[in-house]
Amino acid sequence: MKRQIPLIIIMTLGFMFVAHSFIPHKISVDFFDWFQDWAKAISPFAVSLGIMSLFMVHGTKIKRKVPNWQYSVITLAGLIFTAFAGFAWGTQSGTPYMWLFENVQMPMSATMFSLLAFYIASAAYKAFRARSAEATVLLVAAVVVMLGQVPLGAMISKWIPETSTWILNVPNLAAKRAIMIGVGLGITATSLKILLGIERTYLGGGD
Amino acid sequence: MNKNVISFFNKIQNIDRRYIYIVVAFSIIIPLLIPFNSRTYVTKPTEDIYKKVDSFAGDENKAVLMSFTHDASTMPELFPMEVSVLRHCFERNIKVFTICWIPAAAPLVDYALNTAREDFDVQSGVDYCNFGYKPYVLRLPIMLGMGDDIAKAVETDSQGRKVENLEIMKNIKNYDDMNLVIDFAASGSALQWITYARARFGANIAAGVTAVMVADNYPYLQTGQLMGMFRGLKGAAEYEKLVDVFAAYESEDYPNGRPFSKEVIKETRVPITGDTVPYKYKKARIGMNAQSVAHIMIIFFILLGNIGYFITRKKEL
Repeated sequence: MKRQIPLIIIMTLGFMFVAHSFIPHKISVDFFDWFQDWAKAISPFAVSLGIMSLFMVHGTKIKRKVPNWQYSVITLAGLIFTAFAGFAWGTQSGTPYMWLFENVQMPMSATMFSLLAFYIASAAYKAFRARSAEATVLLVAAVVVMLGQVPLGAMISKWIPETSTWILNVPNLAAKRAIMIGVGLGITATSLKILLGIERTYLGGGD
Repeated sequence: MNKNVISFFNKIQNIDRRYIYIVVAFSIIIPLLIPFNSRTYVTKPTEDIYKKVDSFAGDENKAVLMSFTHDASTMPELFPMEVSVLRHCFERNIKVFTICWIPAAAPLVDYALNTAREDFDVQSGVDYCNFGYKPYVLRLPIMLGMGDDIAKAVETDSQGRKVENLEIMKNIKNYDDMNLVIDFAASGSALQWITYARARFGANIAAGVTAVMVADNYPYLQTGQLMGMFRGLKGAAEYEKLVDVFAAYESEDYPNGRPFSKEVIKETRVPITGDTVPYKYKKARIGMNAQSVAHIMIIFFILLGNIGYFITRKKEL
C-alpha cells in the first residue's frame, strides 16, 4: 500500500491534468480551481521544511564542531536576523531588512557572480589555443561573438555584429534545436512512463 | 627567431594568473569610474519589446506583467532592464504588474519599484501593482490561473490587499488584457511562460536574460514564441537608450514622449557623461563601457596566448 497509494494519486492526477489541458469543460475548470486552493495550502509547508532542513544540517555541524563550523553559525545567524528584521520592521524601503538587502546581500551576490569574468579571462588566456581546426573555428567564433556583443564590433565593421547574429541564429540554433528535440522526446517518454506506472524510481525504495 | 623573443613568450605563457586578474579588474573598474560616451546600437529583439510596451501607452485595458526569477547575483545585468521597463511604463502611463517566484527576488522587486517610481507621480494599486513573492511551487497554477482570472489566481498583492478590489484591476481580467509578460531570469524560465501562457492563452512573452543564457533562448526568439528579448547588459543599454530617446522625450510637439522611429534612433546620440540623464537610468550604458574594455582585454589575452603558443611550438619543432 505504501507504494500503491502514491502511484494511484500520481496516475489519477496526472491524467486529470492532461485532460484539463485539452478539455475546457466546467468539471475540468472546477478541478483546476480545487487544485489551486490545495497548492496554496501546501506551499507554506515547503518553506517550513526548508528552514527545518537548514537548521538540522547546520545545527549538526555546529554541535559536532566539524571543520569550518563557524560558517554554519553565520548562516543560521543571518537567517534568524534577516527573518526577524523582516517581521519586526517590514520589508519596505528604509527598513533594516532593505538595508541588509542593499548593503549585504546585493554586493556579496554580485561579487560572487562577477568572479566569473576573472576566471573566463584567465581560462581564455591559458587554455584557448588554436591546436586543431575545430579549436580554431571555436576560437574565431568566440572572438566574433564577443566583438559583436559590444559597440566596438559595429564600429570596426557592420559585418561583425551581423556575423555574430548569424553564428547565434544558424549554427548555434541547429545544435540547440537538436538538443532540445532530444530532451523533449525524453521528457515526453518519461512522463508517459510515470503516468502509466512503468517508471517508479521516484517513489524510492529501489526497483 | 630571436632568443629574447622566445624567452619573452615562454615567460608570458606561464604568467601568474593574478596578473591577468589585475588587468581585468582595472579594465572594468576604470570605465565604471570614468564613464565615456560610446555608441549604443539598438537591435531588433529589444526594439520589438519597446514597441510592444509602447503600444499600451495610455490604454486602460492593457497591462504589462514583469516576472522576476533571479536573485541579487545577476542584478548588474538584469536590474537596469527592469528599471528601464518600469520607467517606460511610468513615463507612458502604462499599467504594470510585478511578481517574483523566489524569496531572494522579493526585495529586488521593491528596490526596482522604489528606484523607478521616485521620479513619477504613481500610486501602488492604481498605476502599478506588486503581486509580491509567490512560492515557486505555485508558479504553474498561477500561470495557468491568470489565463482565466488574475484576481483569482493571485488573490493578494505584496501588501496583503485583495487584488480584485484594486483600482488597477479595472478592465484587467486575464492575459487578453495583461497581454505582455516579460520574464527576467538568469535561467531558461521564459520557457514555462511560452508553454503555458503563450501556447494556451496567446499571451505575448518576452525575456530579459543574462548574456550567458542568450544562446539558450534564441530558438524561441527565432520562432516568434518570444516576441522580443533583452540580451544581457547590451539589451538593457539598448532599452535605456530607447526610453531616453522616445518615452522620456519632451518637447512642444511631444509633451509625453514621442513615437518610435528608426530614423530618429539612428541619428540620436544620448551623452552619458553629463547630468542630463540620472545615473540610475544610464547604469547599463556605463556598464557596457566596462564590458567593451573587458571583452577587448579577453580577446587580447587570447591572441597573446596563441601567438606565444605558435612561437614556442615552432621552436620545439
